[in-house]
Amino acid sequence: MLLVSPAFAMVALFVLFPLGFAVYISLTDWPLIGSYHFVGGQNYSELVQDPQFIHSVLFTLLYTAIVTGPIFVIGYAMAVLVRSGRRGAVFFRTAFFLPFIIGLATESFLALLELQPDSGAADYVLSKLGLASASTAWTVNYGLALTAICVFVVWFASGLTMMLLMASMQGIPSELYESADVDGASWWQKERRVTLPLLRRSIALSLIISVIGSFLAFNQFYILTEGGPGTSTEPVVMWIYEEAFVQYHLGYATAGAVFLVVVIALISAAQFYLLRDSDDRRPAR
Amino acid sequence: MTAATRRTAPARAGRSGQTGQSYRTERPGGRARAGFTLYLAGGTLAALVFLIPLAWAVLRSFMPNSLVTQAPSGKDFSHLTTGNYTGLIDSGDILHYTLNSLLVACGTGLLTALIATMAGYGFARFRFRGSGIVFALVLVTMMVPFQALLTPLFLEMHSLGLTNNLAGLALFYTTFNLPFGVFVMRNTFLQIPWEMSEAAAVDGASPGRTLVSVLRPLIIPGIATTVLYAFLFSWTEFVGALTFITSNNLYTLPLALLNMEYGSVGQVNFGYLEAGAVIAMVPCVLLYVGLQRFYIRGLMSGAVKG
Repeated sequence: MLLVSPAFAMVALFVLFPLGFAVYISLTDWPLIGSYHFVGGQNYSELVQDPQFIHSVLFTLLYTAIVTGPIFVIGYAMAVLVRSGRRGAVFFRTAFFLPFIIGLATESFLALLELQPDSGAADYVLSKLGLASASTAWTVNYGLALTAICVFVVWFASGLTMMLLMASMQGIPSELYESADVDGASWWQKERRVTLPLLRRSIALSLIISVIGSFLAFNQFYILTEGGPGTSTEPVVMWIYEEAFVQYHLGYATAGAVFLVVVIALISAAQFYLLRDSDDRRPAR
Repeated sequence: MTAATRRTAPARAGRSGQTGQSYRTERPGGRARAGFTLYLAGGTLAALVFLIPLAWAVLRSFMPNSLVTQAPSGKDFSHLTTGNYTGLIDSGDILHYTLNSLLVACGTGLLTALIATMAGYGFARFRFRGSGIVFALVLVTMMVPFQALLTPLFLEMHSLGLTNNLAGLALFYTTFNLPFGVFVMRNTFLQIPWEMSEAAAVDGASPGRTLVSVLRPLIIPGIATTVLYAFLFSWTEFVGALTFITSNNLYTLPLALLNMEYGSVGQVNFGYLEAGAVIAMVPCVLLYVGLQRFYIRGLMSGAVKG
């Protein structure tokens, strides 16, 4: 089909081929320059014993576990707020979505300035509230950096969840709510019995996007902490980047990358499967 | 009950207008007013949480470095200056970097919109041998993180001469925006009532003709969404640019900002960094606010009525 061939060509060239190539590289000791040798599964067996890689995996999981819930709940609440099209909804929607639009990289630089000890707005506001000292150095302490980055990311990403959910909420036929009104359904009943079942797919999509986004976290850590102190706030993608383009262990780094691809594929598949399954089990009437 | 019947009657009359103005139901009495007040208060409070940090960043970008590196205080407001911006323009290549980002983002936006529209139309309207597999393969990209393909992509693009190449960067961005774009465009086409394209076909229009003449006004919101995402994705994309662009004169904005953070010319100038970040921020805001109109218009309902 002619219409879809450009899309397919791009995907083949920049996704499918690199995907296969990645598996091949991961079985070699590929350096940046010079010849390479086939080493079989050696990279993988080293990988599972590499404390730094394991730490980056666990750190990424922790970070994901912290931010996913708040992003979804806040995003859903904001979607409920703005879906009505009542006066001000467009303004609210714009405001909520603005951080996502501006982008994490740009905002990380702004956050860096506001997290500085003694001069940042974070310290200023929190010290006025008596919650932190005015000279708290947020980006050089593991716990503080993780806390600050999680709050920052929830602030950044909730708008996307809101947009995804709002779009499909507005796609729900009005007849369903009207007949629920006729039956005397409360707001909560309508939300649970009409909105949620019809939103399953969008909820699945927004959760997948959110979890995958967290698994692929890079910008905020690279810009705010550079993985520090030490490598304590180094997520998986940064481990791959450092290993490949700073240490020049391309083969080894790619083994970690293949691991990441597999994990993300499994998560996508599992979430799709779980939500589709319960979708089918919904009593047909 | 009376209120409910009153409400449903006109809705029944316009049966096909099922596009989601459904929440616009007015509740009778004081409960509605209380609900609206609560809505306004909650919405305003939440909006401030999102807007104040951004407004603060803009304000601070007009403060000299000496103030940006001090705790905020009342005297900040009496020392506003455009010094950071003029300083950036005079001392560095900020305009050059902005142009680089603009070229990449515009190229990505246009290319993604074009390819995704074609593919979305193809997938939504035609079933052909292997269409399911091809669609699945395009969607697989959504599950394949480009961040995990940096090494093979670097080697591949390097041998194709696409590293240190803004067009190469745009091609890379386009690919990873395609699944979302194709998804959006396919859904956009699927939401269009079949009768419209069938009517066009009956009148003898080719699929391409149908796309351009009949469906175009209906798919603009979808295209706007696709372009918006592609532009915003590529305007300040970070890790890909960091990997594929190493030559200083091809830096996009986030790389230029990173350079400033590292203070390549000695001391880090926080005032400049703040102003540079605001420069990266402004086009996103303008573009989005401009494109909001496409969302608001609610084209589907308009098309069905017309």
